[in-house]
Amino acid sequence: MEDAATPVMTTASVAVAESTGISPGALKAKKIERARMLFWLLPPAAWFFVFMILPYCMLFYYSLGSVDYVVFKPGLSLANFVRVFTTEPYLSVMLKSAKIGIYTAILSSIIAYPLAFYLAFHASEAIKRYVYLLVIVPWWASYLVKAYAWKTILGTGGLINASLLGLGVIDHPLTLFLYNEFSVTLTLAYIFTPFAVLSIYAQLERVPTSLIEVALDQGATRMEIFRKIVLPISIPGIIAGGVITFSLGFGDFVAPALVGGADSIMISNIVINLLGAAYDWPMAAAIGLIIIALGLGLITLAHRLEHQFQVRF
Amino acid sequence: MRAFGNKPLVAGLAGAVLLFLYAPLLVMAFFSFNASQFTGLPFKGFTLSWYEKVLENETLMRSIGASVYVGIGTVILSMLIGLPAAIALDRYDFPGKAAFRRVVMLPIVLPGVITGVALLSFYITIGFRLSLNTIMLGQGTALTCIYVTEVFARLQQLGRSQEEAAYNLGASQIETFFKVTLPNLKSAIFGTMLIVFSISFDEIAVTYLLTGRENTLPMALWSILRREATPEINAVATLVIAFSIVLIVIGVVASRGKDLVAASKS
Repeated sequence: MEDAATPVMTTASVAVAESTGISPGALKAKKIERARMLFWLLPPAAWFFVFMILPYCMLFYYSLGSVDYVVFKPGLSLANFVRVFTTEPYLSVMLKSAKIGIYTAILSSIIAYPLAFYLAFHASEAIKRYVYLLVIVPWWASYLVKAYAWKTILGTGGLINASLLGLGVIDHPLTLFLYNEFSVTLTLAYIFTPFAVLSIYAQLERVPTSLIEVALDQGATRMEIFRKIVLPISIPGIIAGGVITFSLGFGDFVAPALVGGADSIMISNIVINLLGAAYDWPMAAAIGLIIIALGLGLITLAHRLEHQFQVRF
Repeated sequence: MRAFGNKPLVAGLAGAVLLFLYAPLLVMAFFSFNASQFTGLPFKGFTLSWYEKVLENETLMRSIGASVYVGIGTVILSMLIGLPAAIALDRYDFPGKAAFRRVVMLPIVLPGVITGVALLSFYITIGFRLSLNTIMLGQGTALTCIYVTEVFARLQQLGRSQEEAAYNLGASQIETFFKVTLPNLKSAIFGTMLIVFSISFDEIAVTYLLTGRENTLPMALWSILRREATPEINAVATLVIAFSIVLIVIGVVASRGKDLVAASKS
């Protein structure tokens, strides 16, 4: 707010700089530009420093300490990080979470592709708007509710079992649909499919109509057009969507708790458990930091991959 | 012509995907009217009693109030931080710009639980008591990235000529913001507000760790789901979905539906 008075001078000094071309004026204009920038930048930067950077630093501080009978002891030890990689079940659960995250990303991309393709190439403008809305609605519908819905479908009293029983295919309810890694992956893929659709669609929209027309004129088959034009162009969309679905799947704790079994516990469930029942804050902090590092690495990698595969016209 | 490929096949597959997206939601809605103690077949007749039970459930009703309170606070807080951040990122170059952007965007790729753990350890260290307000602070910080992407995208479209003209005519920075920039951003901001509200209304990971004595709606649902779930849940779920649909449709119409894609691309 303190620079509310400066803009009046801005215009004056800009005018001076423009009419005379002397460097002191230009310097002053630059200074005013800087003041304007700080006006917008400082408040959010300060906020993020206090409510994000500091908390992450806290995490670092905790991760170096230890816990002795539910009392935190500060320290300077990397033992917790070593424990993540050497003590079961941390590393294996993290790998399993990554596996479920990757399956989720792949499955949701595969499910999403036909719909994205339809939106980009087949739907008329009028239909497109409605289908687009139809994709967004389930994406924003309650997360918990969506996970729970699969429980009612896959469970022993669920729709699939009831139908199979009704058809006489089986004579007692099957338990193999629920409480395993399959049900966790399916539920997560279901939740993230709308997101994958939007992400792939945004990329498919970029395919120039003329390119397809030329290819058709030259006698290319549909399969060739798809393989050599459409698919390569859509890859950055698949990567962009995949990175986010992977991260969301990797860090999920709702699906494992609702539709997962005893063996499908994931890393976020472990973190929550460490904070609550186990009261091992330093360990939770160490796992958190490793995941943050992985997350930053993933953003960078995705950025690079997207650029590498981005087709320029 | 743009379309290629087997038309009925593509349309059929697309329809199948839409069916996949909607079937579970319709199943929930269907069972919310089922006069049976259990969620599942057979359908024992139509009833509205589960909806009555929801309306009589004081814990649930109070949690809806709490969620609305947190949602409104989050919308305002993340706007107050996100708007200037977007302007700074669009209009100016400064040292550490890439790092700043990355920090703002980090909550998108980080598991909510991790954001929650970091904030929780911070609150506990400085002695904040956990309450609805701490949830609001956490969500507000994490959801700022949505404003940043949305408003940034709109600012890029707008260009700066109008603002420069205002400055040249002697308008102050504040005047320029309120009379030139803000009116141009109105629809983008409105759309984002609704999107942030609906995310906040549904948020569970950060909330799970930062919650105090009072619970938001997802937390109340969570505790019911963890215990024995009655078909009451289906009724709440249906109501929540219906409510989100209304918000989304308004939001999408207001911001012309490009926001989600924009958010996913940055």
